[in-house]
Amino acid sequence: MSDRQFVIPIGPQHPALKEPESFYFTVDGETVIDVEPRIGYNHRGIEKAMEVRNYTQNLYITERVCGICSNAHQTAYTGSVEEAGGIEIPERAKYIRVFMQELERLHSHLLWLGVAAHEIGFDTLFYYVWRDREIVMNLLEEISGNRCNYAMPTIGGVRRDLNKDNFPRWTKLIDTVYERTEYYIKIASTEQTILDRAIGVGYLGKSDMIKLSGAGPNARCSGVPCDIRKTTPYLVYDQLDFEHIVVDNGDVLGQVLVRALEVLESCKILKQVMDTIPEGEIKTKFGPLNKVAEGEAAYLVEAQRGELIHYTISDGKNMPFRHKIRAPTLANLPSLVERLKGGYIADIPIVLAGIDPCFSCTDRMVFYDEGKDKSWSWDETQLRKYRKEWFEK
Amino acid sequence: MAMERELLKNAFSKPATLIYPFEKPEIPEGLRGKHEYEQEKCIGCGLCARVCPSFAIEIMGGPGPKMTGLKINLGMCLFCGQCEEVCPRDCLRLTTEYELAVLNKEDGILNFPREPPAPKPAPKKEE
Amino acid sequence: MFPGLSFILSYTLYAEWLSRKTVARLQNRVGPLHTGWQGILQPIADYIKLLVKEDITPAAAEATVFNIVPVFIFAIPLAATFLIPIQSITTLWGYEPVAAFEGDLIMVLFLMSLTVLAVFLAGWSSGNLFGAIGATRVAFMMLAYEIPLGLVAISPAIMARSLSIVKIVDWQVASVQSFLANPTLPGFLLGVVLFIGFAIYTVCLLAELEMRPFDMSEAETEIVHGWQVEYSGVKLALLNSGHDVKMVLAAGLLTSLYLGGPVGPILPPVVWFIIKTSFCVLILSNLSALFARFRIDQMVTGAWKYLVPLAVLQVMATVALSGVI
Repeated sequence: MSDRQFVIPIGPQHPALKEPESFYFTVDGETVIDVEPRIGYNHRGIEKAMEVRNYTQNLYITERVCGICSNAHQTAYTGSVEEAGGIEIPERAKYIRVFMQELERLHSHLLWLGVAAHEIGFDTLFYYVWRDREIVMNLLEEISGNRCNYAMPTIGGVRRDLNKDNFPRWTKLIDTVYERTEYYIKIASTEQTILDRAIGVGYLGKSDMIKLSGAGPNARCSGVPCDIRKTTPYLVYDQLDFEHIVVDNGDVLGQVLVRALEVLESCKILKQVMDTIPEGEIKTKFGPLNKVAEGEAAYLVEAQRGELIHYTISDGKNMPFRHKIRAPTLANLPSLVERLKGGYIADIPIVLAGIDPCFSCTDRMVFYDEGKDKSWSWDETQLRKYRKEWFEK
Repeated sequence: MAMERELLKNAFSKPATLIYPFEKPEIPEGLRGKHEYEQEKCIGCGLCARVCPSFAIEIMGGPGPKMTGLKINLGMCLFCGQCEEVCPRDCLRLTTEYELAVLNKEDGILNFPREPPAPKPAPKKEE
Repeated sequence: MFPGLSFILSYTLYAEWLSRKTVARLQNRVGPLHTGWQGILQPIADYIKLLVKEDITPAAAEATVFNIVPVFIFAIPLAATFLIPIQSITTLWGYEPVAAFEGDLIMVLFLMSLTVLAVFLAGWSSGNLFGAIGATRVAFMMLAYEIPLGLVAISPAIMARSLSIVKIVDWQVASVQSFLANPTLPGFLLGVVLFIGFAIYTVCLLAELEMRPFDMSEAETEIVHGWQVEYSGVKLALLNSGHDVKMVLAAGLLTSLYLGGPVGPILPPVVWFIIKTSFCVLILSNLSALFARFRIDQMVTGAWKYLVPLAVLQVMATVALSGVI
């Protein structure tokens, strides 16, 4: 390390990060030379907590893995448990699950757009986008009873029904969101100050992205077509008509375009669901303390940030034997490191925010000791002990 | 300069801020708020306590007819609504009351008493 | 004391309120509301809150410099405002400032640059990495905006053939009156040239005041408040106050050099001063809400590619026209 280089710690508490994560930047003047991420600040022992509660209680534990992608986690959890136990859900329930997932995608991408605007200092756009996001939040509250952590999917179906009388009003609201997002896409492509901060910033090409195995909009902005809703469709996505959004930019402008265009596609999907939803039951009978048949299943869901995997092993009781969650931000971290190298300090917040990090989802740590054939997750005291030992090494 | 028209339009329209607590928001019906309990219908099955994800509900007294009350700790409650859904007699419900801030923890524990049902008279033996 | 300290200090409170309310309304928010009528007492409330907070000097900071610099950042712009014509104490329609002498325009520009030096010292002596980065960015910014600022400040002085702000205002009043009586083409061209100067001056003032789009020295999301990061309590109150006084100084300079000073029909000069500087604060706040933040290298290259040539052309045009008029 030459004389002019020094190390800047960004995090764990920093206004650029919405969630705690630690990055050590080695900088030379204003240029970033190297990045070292340290993860694990949000580890709460969720996988362990899920092993001591029954399946119904675990619905709400999975929901609280992350506040913004809560519905994605619940969809994946119920999907994996149903697949492991061989439980079928009615068609109407599948449509309602798609409806909630796309609504959550709307709210998450609009949140990201506002936060990205805030990171480049454009507070006006931040306030406008979040004002329009309130439309989606109020709609979610009306449908599910809560503005986040909606708790709609349950094992066997969904908990609440959608009332057909409300569909015309909801269509108008979704149209409002559609128009406002088109306006924001126009702004993002023509406002010179945004373009100055976004074009060429944090660039990563397609081959690098494939090598580093990025996921979700982060990978799709570099040209990698990896939307699970199109490649391995689940629920009813194969019956809905929407485009696979992939752009070639590879920089922050690409991230903005991918997510904004996905908002438009989500609006289209929502309207299609409202038009084609079949009548019927909304859940099959699964008592709250029922046992789930033995089996194991992995379920992939296109969460807002990418590919989310929930893996369940059930041994015939009413508590899961093992449940593992792999969040998309974990897959996006190596590509984040590559994006940051070679940029300026001033670009750090926007590139960090650009991959839409959700560190609450990410921090899951599991140890598998092959010799003893035992796997466990650590709780907080053990984590602290390990850290102390590691630093003293 | 692209957003100037939008800025000026917003400057002269009503602000988007809701001046709480002087203006209250519109609350939809299905909002998951504070609990409401009808003690006549309750049979003391204890299902609500068994499905609560955060173990916030406690059955006082014992199961079935011996149950003397329900204690719900709002500080631990997730307001998920699973207790409302699982209740077989529909006696535990979530209302739309959401202003639940309290100044000390004891006020956040809801105590719902329950009169144990009168013991049934023994059936008369057939002569 | 009037129009000295008491007027300027209370005026800065009003200017801060106006700026915050404007930015809030443009962003479809409400801004300060509950303190006083529509929140007009909010700046005072903020100062009182800061005065009762704990004042911490970090152990790694250079204590003497760290403690004394906020006083400079507050006092130097305040001293410069005494040279702006607002209202004369002797006559109702006069507008001599508290101190006026030939060349006080240069004095004002010099005092504004001295403030930047004080800001740099504030960041550098914080002992904090983010403070040091903020301080270096402030110094870089000065490289960018100082030259165009000086050039367009001089151009009305060239027309008025004097470096005293009061005489510049006098010249503006006289020339507007003669133009309205007898419009000529050179007069019209001069108006256009001076309008361009007004625009450039506004942009340079945005950079001087560290407002968006040039607030990279205090970028909250990148370097956590930049050079102010270690200040708290009384010292932070002085820094905020100094920032507001700088805004009043900038608005006052803008009115005196380009908007004709505190002169207008019917009302006494102090009222016109308030009206015209409020207009300047509105324009500055509007531009501040309109743009995202630039990067430091983009700002320096942009300034030298666009602002400096434009400012040079503007001065040359002024010189040419001054020969004609």
